[in-house]
Amino acid sequence: MSDPTQSGEYSMPVLILFVTGTAPRSQRARDNLTRMLEQIELVDIHPHEVDLLKQPEESIKHSVFATPALMKVSQNGDVAILYGDLSEEGRLQRFLSDLGSE
Amino acid sequence: MTSRKTQVQKQATGIGGLDRVTGGGLPSGQATLLLGQAAAGKTVLSLQILAKAIERGEGAVFVTFEESPAQVKRDASSFQWAEHLLDSDRWQLIDARPRLDAEVAGEFDVEGLLSVIGASMAQCGATWIVLDGIDQLLQYQPNQRTAIEQVRRINNHCEEKGWTLLLTGKANGNSIAPAHLEGIEFLLSATLILSAQVCNQQLKRSLRIAKFRGSRHVTDEMPMIMGDDGIELPYHEVLPDSDAAASNERISSGVVKLDKLLDGGVYRGSSLLISGRPGTAKSTLAGHFAEAAAQRGERTLYVSFDELSGPYVRNLASVGIDLRSPIESGLVRFKSMSAYTAPVAEHFLTLRRLLDEFEPHCLVIDPISALLKTSDEASMATEHLVDLVRRRGITTILTSLSGLLDPQGEATRGQVSTLADSWIVLDYNVRAGERNRSLSIVKSRGSAHSNQQRELLLSNKGIDLADVYELGTEVLMGTARVALENEEALIQRRQKLERKQRRLDLERRMAQAELERQRLADELRLEEEESSESEALVQVYRTQIRERRDPDRKKPSAHNGGGEGEPS
Repeated sequence: MSDPTQSGEYSMPVLILFVTGTAPRSQRARDNLTRMLEQIELVDIHPHEVDLLKQPEESIKHSVFATPALMKVSQNGDVAILYGDLSEEGRLQRFLSDLGSE
Repeated sequence: MTSRKTQVQKQATGIGGLDRVTGGGLPSGQATLLLGQAAAGKTVLSLQILAKAIERGEGAVFVTFEESPAQVKRDASSFQWAEHLLDSDRWQLIDARPRLDAEVAGEFDVEGLLSVIGASMAQCGATWIVLDGIDQLLQYQPNQRTAIEQVRRINNHCEEKGWTLLLTGKANGNSIAPAHLEGIEFLLSATLILSAQVCNQQLKRSLRIAKFRGSRHVTDEMPMIMGDDGIELPYHEVLPDSDAAASNERISSGVVKLDKLLDGGVYRGSSLLISGRPGTAKSTLAGHFAEAAAQRGERTLYVSFDELSGPYVRNLASVGIDLRSPIESGLVRFKSMSAYTAPVAEHFLTLRRLLDEFEPHCLVIDPISALLKTSDEASMATEHLVDLVRRRGITTILTSLSGLLDPQGEATRGQVSTLADSWIVLDYNVRAGERNRSLSIVKSRGSAHSNQQRELLLSNKGIDLADVYELGTEVLMGTARVALENEEALIQRRQKLERKQRRLDLERRMAQAELERQRLADELRLEEEESSESEALVQVYRTQIRERRDPDRKKPSAHNGGGEGEPS
């Protein structure tokens, strides 16, 4: 119960990656995200990872039912979500673009 | 294990008609696709199946991808089974609507979904799982083949876990492939297609089993009703076990002379169709029947289409038929229905429920043609109805209005005349400025019935029948009949008088002859008396002469008068 409350109280813009264990698409999403963060020089951002196989209740809490999925919580509380294994670099880059400016 | 695999196990849906047409329910531990346009009833059907399952003590999980949880609950709340569902903790409702602003960067999978479903299923010990509108999520999948793969994944997962899955999909025209997910129909064990179409300004719902792997099932498009009780298949509910034993008992039609024509009345449990143009006294005849049933102490369900109880009962009272008392005593239940206000299937269901509840001995539907007008489905409804009442042994009167140009019209259109055991046609006979009602029996199964047309007389004592007169090839009715009747009566009277006259004549002549005979007999007697007296005198005289002439006479006897007898 401590984890979910923690994940809801980020004061900084934050990324949450929802995965299911070591499923191939989850694995690809981890790799693609790490590579993109390096590419756009946001190495100090450490995405928080939620494994829905271990914490299925997180799925309902965040309304995320497709995996992998990347959730972005802005400082003002806005939430955006990007489904998929993040293999489309252009989309991923656009999704992350506002993080660097802050 | 092998026997379980070879034979499809079924899980009852709790919807009587559906369980009957599927031979016991949906494939247990497998997936069923519920396909339909928007508002065809997919969500309601799945909620109803869950409600019934929960009522039986089973558990369920409902995952909504399209409607909000509040909306799903509202969908259920108008139905009578809602309380079993909404108040129960044996089901969970998961809101899995994708976020509106969701974007996609590559393929995703449903492992997370299966994980959360697994947790919920375990919590409420569920065996049923509904995925409502999963296309809303899977449409984000950049590659359609991947979307289908994911349905396969879900299907396999449910089979492994032994969950019975209902998956809704959007109909794509007349195809049995769902929109956005073409191809999944091949993966799943069963497919039900729901449809809702407006036809003659009425919404007609139907259900069809497009696929049921490894099981016999009804393949027709079946009319479906969505009423207070939820979804029902009115024509496919369980029928009473066996045919009612054919009865030899005759019951009165309420008109004595008609009973005679029908060889004693109508068979109990049979059906009688009365057809005729407006005003030919169809309702009156039906009213007689119901009144007679009530007098025998039997219950009658009296259904009037498009006419209200008040005026109907009053009109019958004007021809001496009392329906008010049996209605008040509960022997007649009068149900007024409006043909166009509901789909035929709903009317059928209403009638069926009334038959269940009231358990009548007799049924009157006046007129069934009002229903037949509404749609083509009505003839099927009528067929089912006639079958149902026959199985229950209910004696039934159906009336049917015929058109002016087509006196046999609608009765035959609805096939009612072929279904009904007996058929009476009422009509007018217009001749010599008069319109007279007539009655003829077209058919009467299992009876030696009269083939004669009769004149139907309507008075404040109800219906009476009169023999009709044939004049050449025409039948005479009304005044013409009365005139002929009078003429005949006159002739008969005259003949009777003449016969009487002749008899009196003969009697008088016989009396005269008798008098004459007596007179002659007297005369004869006198004559005989006279002749015997003179005979005696002659005898005396002869004796005297003989004595006088006797030569041996000694002396004249003194007392013989002496001198007188002496010769001179």
